[in-house]
Amino acid sequence: MEAVLEPFKQAYATGLAQPVAEFLSPIPPGRDPGRLYDFYRASNDDKIEGEVRYALKANRKTRMSNKEAEAWIDLIVGYWRAVKQIILADEAANQGRLGDRQYLAVYDTWKDLTSSFIKHISGGSLPPWAIFTLYFTANHFRRIAIKADEYLARAKPATSVNSFSDDIVVPQTARSEKLEEAARVFNRVFALCLGDRNPDMSESRKWGVYCIANLQFKTYFKLKAISLSKNVVKSIAAQSDLPPFHLYPRAHRVTYRYYTGVLAFLQEDYAQAEKDLQEAWDSCYARSQKNKSLILTYLIPCRLITQHAIPSATLLAEAPGLARLIGPLVSCIKKGDLTGFDNALAEGEPAFVKRRIFLTLERSRDIALRNLLRKVYLAAGYDELKEGQTDKDRIRKSRIPLINFATALRMGLSGEGSGQVVEDDEVECLLANQIYKGLMKGYISREHAMVVLNKKGAFPGTRI
Amino acid sequence: MSSNAPTAKHDKANVADSKTTEQPLSQDKKPAALEEDDEFEDFPVEDWTEEETQIPNGNAHLWEESWDDDDTNEDFAVQLRAELKKLGK
Repeated sequence: MEAVLEPFKQAYATGLAQPVAEFLSPIPPGRDPGRLYDFYRASNDDKIEGEVRYALKANRKTRMSNKEAEAWIDLIVGYWRAVKQIILADEAANQGRLGDRQYLAVYDTWKDLTSSFIKHISGGSLPPWAIFTLYFTANHFRRIAIKADEYLARAKPATSVNSFSDDIVVPQTARSEKLEEAARVFNRVFALCLGDRNPDMSESRKWGVYCIANLQFKTYFKLKAISLSKNVVKSIAAQSDLPPFHLYPRAHRVTYRYYTGVLAFLQEDYAQAEKDLQEAWDSCYARSQKNKSLILTYLIPCRLITQHAIPSATLLAEAPGLARLIGPLVSCIKKGDLTGFDNALAEGEPAFVKRRIFLTLERSRDIALRNLLRKVYLAAGYDELKEGQTDKDRIRKSRIPLINFATALRMGLSGEGSGQVVEDDEVECLLANQIYKGLMKGYISREHAMVVLNKKGAFPGTRI
Repeated sequence: MSSNAPTAKHDKANVADSKTTEQPLSQDKKPAALEEDDEFEDFPVEDWTEEETQIPNGNAHLWEESWDDDDTNEDFAVQLRAELKKLGK
């Protein structure tokens, strides 16, 4: 036992949360795949507590108070019990007989470990950094809970749950019992951070607020109970004495901004969403490809709406998967190709719906239309130069027959068997809408069947 | 909270979760693979520098600035001009 606890003592001596969290991990390190097994084999149910106590207390090298030592003993014993279940589950899996019951034992022991952690931190037995060790333990708990729910779902096949119901909510809730339980544990951890009254900020658990909030977001999103995330955001906003946001580590900030950005996005508050997502994008760790791609999944539709901005090839190249998904749509917007846009939108619909960006992307059809109308304006060319004027003075024709727009729309829409017929009234309606939305500046003169565009900035933000 | 050794280890944890390794805890060789996960991943490190947020070609030109207006030979523009010419007659 002495030998297997040596890594703990070394980790503890660093005074850092992460090394201790690594010791308490349910996954063996790559360089020592047998570590969990060795740790489990070093003791047994009857002896574990006494042995850990002896090893920790006999060795005064660690210099911790008695109260703290007792807390760590409790945690290490709890960890040993969890490891035992992990090993048993592993052995069962190797023999092909791992069932839900065995995995639930892993879940239960890990839950006990997490709860003990909360108890000792709130009891003031552990050093301030332990809150971050708890974060790692809780994050493992989240993953274990997800897996436990999967085993449960397999043990109770969905057919027996909903054979007479087409309400997909039923099996969904039935399958996430453990993760819901975990969510309640995370609430306690969050309260433990947010409500810390220690006036010494350097020792405050308030530094854990955002990483625990992120854990809750991930859990709520997985549970499809996204709206619960808003409570977390509100609690944080209402807490006036948190350290300044920019002092938190980037991992906490970027993740937090990603989730608040997505929440704002889902509430169609695109201005706020853009602000948060842009902040997440700007500070994101360059090598975290998947996270960058996720940020862009929402930032791109957002900016299409707020700025009518189209991502460049450079930007899309940062997220190849996303580029495959929305690249065709983006290029149709750029070209003003309405039929292509409709096809690309229909093609990508299942994927867009899954990511909850379908409705927003659908709205970007306005930009595709704007770009098409803009081409009509460009095709009309320039007014003839008056005497004394040079090419530099030339002005684009600002009075354009309605029929020109109708022609372009018919070419863009009715072609290629889209089966769409564009009525004249509809053309006027589309144009009026564009003017109303500020995408095009000017007015329709029905008497003359003309569109009169502003001489300056007929299509704002598009350089003409 | 951040040093390099732990980082490598933490990576490992993520890998294990996506079940691509053969190490012992991945008991799910067969099970109905997690539907592709769209979860925001844990970063491999806690904090990083400004430089480490930069993508290779810098953060400029991420949004389309060109309008290809000079490209009057683009198919649609050509067709459109032809159609409009017909109207003029």
